[in-house]
Amino acid sequence: MIHFENVSKRFPGGHYGVSNITLEIESGALAFITGHSGAGKSTLLRLIALLERPTRGQLLIDGRNIGRLQENEVAAHRRKIGLIFQDHRLLSDRSVFDNVALPLHVRGFPVREVGKRVRASLDKVGLLKKEKVLPITLSGGEQQRVGIARAIVSRPPILLADEPTGNLDPELSHEIMKLFIAFNQLGITTLIASHDLDLIKKLDRPVINLQQGELT
Amino acid sequence: MRVTPVSRLSIWLDQHWRSAYGSYVEMRRRPLATMMTLLVIGITLALPASLLSLLKISQSMTDDQQQSASISLFLKNGIVNEKALRVAADLELLPQIDHVELLTSADAMDEFRSHSGFGDALDALDDNPLPNVLLIHLLTDNGSMDIKKLASELKQESVTDSIEYDQGWIERMQAITQAIRRAVQALGFGLGLAVMLIIGNTIRLEIMNRREEIEVTRLVGGSDDFIRRPFLYIGLIYGLFGALIAWLLVSILLMLVSGPLGRLAELYDTTISLSTFSLQALLLLIPIGISFGLAGAWLAVSRHLSSIDPE
Repeated sequence: MIHFENVSKRFPGGHYGVSNITLEIESGALAFITGHSGAGKSTLLRLIALLERPTRGQLLIDGRNIGRLQENEVAAHRRKIGLIFQDHRLLSDRSVFDNVALPLHVRGFPVREVGKRVRASLDKVGLLKKEKVLPITLSGGEQQRVGIARAIVSRPPILLADEPTGNLDPELSHEIMKLFIAFNQLGITTLIASHDLDLIKKLDRPVINLQQGELT
Repeated sequence: MRVTPVSRLSIWLDQHWRSAYGSYVEMRRRPLATMMTLLVIGITLALPASLLSLLKISQSMTDDQQQSASISLFLKNGIVNEKALRVAADLELLPQIDHVELLTSADAMDEFRSHSGFGDALDALDDNPLPNVLLIHLLTDNGSMDIKKLASELKQESVTDSIEYDQGWIERMQAITQAIRRAVQALGFGLGLAVMLIIGNTIRLEIMNRREEIEVTRLVGGSDDFIRRPFLYIGLIYGLFGALIAWLLVSILLMLVSGPLGRLAELYDTTISLSTFSLQALLLLIPIGISFGLAGAWLAVSRHLSSIDPE
C-alpha cells in the first residue's frame, strides 16, 4: 500500500528530514513511528500526505509514484488520507459539526449524506452531543477526538496521526490509541508518530524507529 | 456513493450555492466594512454611468432635432398664396423632401403677435411686412451634405428670396457629444479598473483573514477550485451590489435633473423618458459590475492563494 524506496527529503539549506528510507507498509496495517524529536517522524508522514515532496527515491502509494503528481492532482491524493495533528488544526470559528463536515464538503457530498456521516463519525469518538459547540469550549482530549472524527468521516483508506497524544495525560492517550486500533480493525491503514514509548510498548504493534532521519 | 449525471449536477449546484451563501454570510459578518466597500464601488461606477446617461439624453434630443431637419424658404414679396402652393407641390416631388408646409404671411403674423408680445405695436403697422414662407421638411435619412446642396439649389429658384436652415448647430453639438462620449468611455474604463483593484484588494484581505481555513481545507483534500470558489463569489457579490448602488445613485441624479431637463426638452419640442435611461443604465451596470468584480477576485485569488500552503 505504502512503499518507500530509497526515499530522501533534503530541505533547502542541506538538512535532511529523512534519508534513504526503504519501507513497506501493508494495506490494513497499523504501525507506530518512534524517535526523538527531529528524527524525521513528521517528515515521513508529511511525505505520504504530499505536504512535502521527496527529493530522492520513489514513494509509491497504491502503486503510484506520488512524487511525480502534478499540483492539481495533490488534492485528489489527499482525499485518500485522513490527517490528525498534535494541535488538532480545527477551525475555531466553526462548530464541531462544521469542522467534521469539511472533508465531506470538499468531496461534494449531498447535504443529507453529510449529516448522517458526521453524526456517525462523532458517535464513534463519543462526541455526538457536542456537535453544535465551538471547538474552543472542549477539552484537549475532546478536541483531539473531533480531529479524529474529521479524519475518518470520509472513510479514507489511510490514516496518519502526528503525535496525536502529545498533549494528553496517559489515560486519555490510551483511549485515543484504542480508537485508532478500532479504526484499524475496520481495514484503515494507520500510521501513528509518537514518542510515548511506554504506551506503544503496551499496545504491541509494529514499530518503525527513526534516528536522524534514518531507519534503525 | 453512486454518481449519476443528475446527482452530479445537483452536487455541483449544491456546492456553488453553499459557496455563494457562505460568502454572503461572511460579508454580513462585517457589515460596516462591507457597506463601505460597496459604497466606494457604487460611487466609482456611478460617475461614468451617470455621465453616460446624461450624454445619451442629450443625444436623444439632438436626434429628434435631426429627424425634424427642415429648410425655411422665404418667398419673394408679391408671390400670392396660390402660386406658393403650386411651388410647394412641385417641391414635394423632389426625392429628398418629405413634405412642404406653407406658412402664409398672415399665419406668421398671428403667430408672431401671440408669441412676441408686440401685439399693439404690430397693429400700428399699415400692412404685413412678413413674407410667405415654405417650411420644407426633409426625409430623415438625408446626410447633411445633401441639405447644403439642396439649400443652394433652392436658392436659385426664381421665387426664392432667401433660405435658412440651421443644421450647423446640430453638427457642432454632435461633434461635442462625440468628444465627451470618448472622454467618458476612457474615464469609465479607468474607473472600472479602479473598481477591479478595490475588489481585488478587498479579496486579498479576505484571503489573509481566512488563511487558516484555506490551509485546513487543503489538508483535507480541498481542490483549488473548491478553495477559489467562495472568493470568486465574494467578487461577484461586490460587483453586483456595487452596480445596484451605482444604479440607485444614477437614478437619483436623473430624478434631480428631470425638472430642468423636461423644460429643456420642451424647448426642443421633444419629450424624454427618464425611466428608459435609468433602465438602460441598469442593464449596462450589472454585467459590467459583475465582470469587474469577478476579474478583481480572480486577480487576487490567482496571486495570493498559491502562496498559502499548509504547514
